[in-house]
Amino acid sequence: MTTLNQIGFLVRKDLRIELRKRESLISMAFFGVLVLVTLSIAVGGGRRVPPETGAGILWVAALFSGVLGLGRVFARERENGCVAALLVSPMNPGSLYAAKALVNLTLMVASQIVLVPVFFALFGQGLAGGLAAVVLPLLLLDVAFSSAGTLLSAVAAGTRRNEVLLPILLFPLLLPVVVLGVKASGAALQGKAGGGLGAVEPLAAFCVIYSVAGYFLFPFAAREV
Amino acid sequence: MPTTSADAPFLTVEGVRKAYGGVEALRGVSFTLPRGEFLCLFGPNGAGKSTLLKILSTLLPQSAGRVRVAGFDLEENSAAFRARLGVVSHQSYLYHDLTALENLEFYAGLYAVADPRGTALALLEQAGLYERRHSPAAEFSRGMLQRLSIARALVNDPSLLLLDEPYTGLDEHAANRLRKQLELLRDQERTIVMVTHNLRRGLESATRLGILSRGRLCCMERRGSMTPEAFEALYFDHLERM
Repeated sequence: MTTLNQIGFLVRKDLRIELRKRESLISMAFFGVLVLVTLSIAVGGGRRVPPETGAGILWVAALFSGVLGLGRVFARERENGCVAALLVSPMNPGSLYAAKALVNLTLMVASQIVLVPVFFALFGQGLAGGLAAVVLPLLLLDVAFSSAGTLLSAVAAGTRRNEVLLPILLFPLLLPVVVLGVKASGAALQGKAGGGLGAVEPLAAFCVIYSVAGYFLFPFAAREV
Repeated sequence: MPTTSADAPFLTVEGVRKAYGGVEALRGVSFTLPRGEFLCLFGPNGAGKSTLLKILSTLLPQSAGRVRVAGFDLEENSAAFRARLGVVSHQSYLYHDLTALENLEFYAGLYAVADPRGTALALLEQAGLYERRHSPAAEFSRGMLQRLSIARALVNDPSLLLLDEPYTGLDEHAANRLRKQLELLRDQERTIVMVTHNLRRGLESATRLGILSRGRLCCMERRGSMTPEAFEALYFDHLERM
């Protein structure tokens, strides 16, 4: 059986359960919108915000809602010991990592389909760049977040306080991505031609590093899930 | 997995040790088991039964010693070995949000079974759960979950079946049904290793009996070599010496 088939089976299983229960997606989107509304009130409700601040607000909402989904990545596998059944199957543990990262990426993108329009509705008046300006940096954030977060979620899942440990481990690791992403989104929201494109290459490099490291390190972390 | 002659040991465990920090859970366990035998290992809590089963199922690496299945070292051929291994635990290993059919189809797919749906339906029929195939596992009783769990462990037609306390939480009726199912599997010439502290249930179906105490295999007997009463007396004698 090819690795791609294994990943396909795992992704289909997780998305089938998510579509049935809608536990992660609804909570991620709702929490993200809640963060945006709270920050909108904090900055004075309807007042113009500088593009850098706007970008920061969007990324805070995306990161916080993402952590909420990430915490559930291995919860289902731990219930009834399913992770043990996966690990005693002939499946390569890297396939489990790739499948979980893909599911998490899908959930993040789906929740941001709700978040981004809400962000522009609340903060869009003073921003020159449109919706398309933030799509690429956000997508790269999602890939970096899912690839690093899936590995750390497996590490944290083996501990008693995984929901506390996960953000403590994850946010410092994502700091370079967040800095680059906020700058790229800020430049894009200023409406400059090609604004933020300079940060795309290093952001993509981080995505590759996190994904490759996650794939190869996951078998060690999986024993602790 | 390559086959061996009928007389050659199918499962060989040689001096297996496992230490958690400074605590030794297994202190040099050795035994051999021919193909088609049903070994039941008894022992009190903390004897090292589940640790041994985790090592045999590749979930845990041993600190020392070797495990060979059909003549091949487990550590060197673990992926090929896992393809022919079935594991049943007191945990169901089932997704409660999926139906019985979806659960079995998913696992059959992971094992690259040629016809996942057909295999899943046949196993549900065998387990007496065909009528409930579209019910979520969350709606199943403990006994039904255990039957579904055994069906899950059989999706890859395993040659070695490992059972960890399969009678836990079952009422008398469900336990009797499980016993019949295990005896059927034994008669299909599958090699089975079951660990339990339930003497009565273990003595009913096994062809070989072993006692694990404080991480050591104290004895290993053929079922016919002593009466259940004599084995029971031997077991309690070992427990009292602990």
